[in-house]
Amino acid sequence: MDLDTVKERAGPRQFSPKDDMPQEYREAATRMIQFHANSEVMGGYLEKPFIRQAPSLDRKLAFSAKVQDEIGHAQLLYRAAESLGVKTRDEMLDELAEGKGKFLNCFHYPMKTWYEVPMIGFFVDGAAMRRQATLKSTSWEPYAHAMDKVCFEEGFHVKHGEDMLRELMTSSKANQERTQEAFEEWWPRVIQFFGPVNSQSTHHGFAAEVGLKTKSNDELRQAFLNTYIPKAERYGLEIPDTPEIIYHEDEGRYEVVEEDLDWDQFWTIAKNDYDGSYEQIGSRADRQEAVEWVREQMDSYETAHSGTAPQAAD
Amino acid sequence: MIWEVFRQEKPGGYHRHVGNVHAPDREMAKLFAQIQHGRRMQTHSIWVAPQDEISEVDDEDTSFGGTTDKAYRWAMTYNRVDASGIQEVVESEAEQRAAAKKREAAKKEEADS
Ligand SMILES: [Fe+2]
Ligand SMILES: [Fe+2]
Repeated sequence: MDLDTVKERAGPRQFSPKDDMPQEYREAATRMIQFHANSEVMGGYLEKPFIRQAPSLDRKLAFSAKVQDEIGHAQLLYRAAESLGVKTRDEMLDELAEGKGKFLNCFHYPMKTWYEVPMIGFFVDGAAMRRQATLKSTSWEPYAHAMDKVCFEEGFHVKHGEDMLRELMTSSKANQERTQEAFEEWWPRVIQFFGPVNSQSTHHGFAAEVGLKTKSNDELRQAFLNTYIPKAERYGLEIPDTPEIIYHEDEGRYEVVEEDLDWDQFWTIAKNDYDGSYEQIGSRADRQEAVEWVREQMDSYETAHSGTAPQAAD
Repeated sequence: MIWEVFRQEKPGGYHRHVGNVHAPDREMAKLFAQIQHGRRMQTHSIWVAPQDEISEVDDEDTSFGGTTDKAYRWAMTYNRVDASGIQEVVESEAEQRAAAKKREAAKKEEADS
């Protein structure tokens, strides 16, 4: 299929592995899905140590299920990315370990306390879910199918995240203050989740033309702010003064004062060059290496039995 | 030879198991699947797979708690928060609710039979 035909036919779930897609499409889709898959892995690893810190058995059950889901999302997404035929799952996992794989800004920041957990569990998952809901109508069918399953599970993540926030903000004054502190630290990062404004986004144009993306970063950020600012306020959180957010009532639109955000840090993170990047990528790479022997065993088993095994990979 | 048949109604949808056909080879299986499952209902695509190549585990085999109550996994459990303002969460919860209903109905059917 040539690129013009792709752009003409672009629509929800239009293209599948049966279609002969041009290299440009396959590379753009791989870049996008690999980024998404990497983010699921890195989010899961960031949260995992907090399973142990859960304040109750109920929270521990819910939170460990949530972390398990995130790793599962990564597996679904690496499959969807693999189906484009550009990179194998092993290649993508190695790239992540080597610091070449890119992932969401929020997961480059180390987490220290339980008060930060709802910042991820409610606000970051909430932002991610807003975006993922729109990706149910992406043009790469295996990606859309992965989103069906992911969004099914995310309702639990976001509601449980909100419940953690509610619990903290209705408990002692000291807890409320610590939660507010965590919120102030995370809020600018969450706003940057949706990246820079459209004019600065390098890949948006093409991804939108071929139907991979259905909403712009700015549209997503608007929808997020519309929903989550009132949520934060309802629980008594105070929205920090910076970045300044101006609400234009006549247009029903929020304007984020971009200069108030630290874009140098954002772009350093985008290059995996922030202190936290090295920490997070490094600790995950160590764990990948620690289970290398399992992978090797499985690979040699698969090769030894390849005469009789069906094409299990597909 | 028995071939399991999976039918996809519309492009972009899922292939769902609809039954099986008895056929001597893959080509014949595809032909029979078309006649039995494709022609009668709206169909966009059909997969056939040899029955031997399909493996199953059920809730009696699994050690990870096939039918164990996992209420902590469902959005419906967290009722002290009001998610009605977040459209995508509402949709996800509705899907989970529908899945729970289906599970209940299946359980009841099994108990009645
Ligand atoms: Fe996820
Ligand atoms: Fe999540």
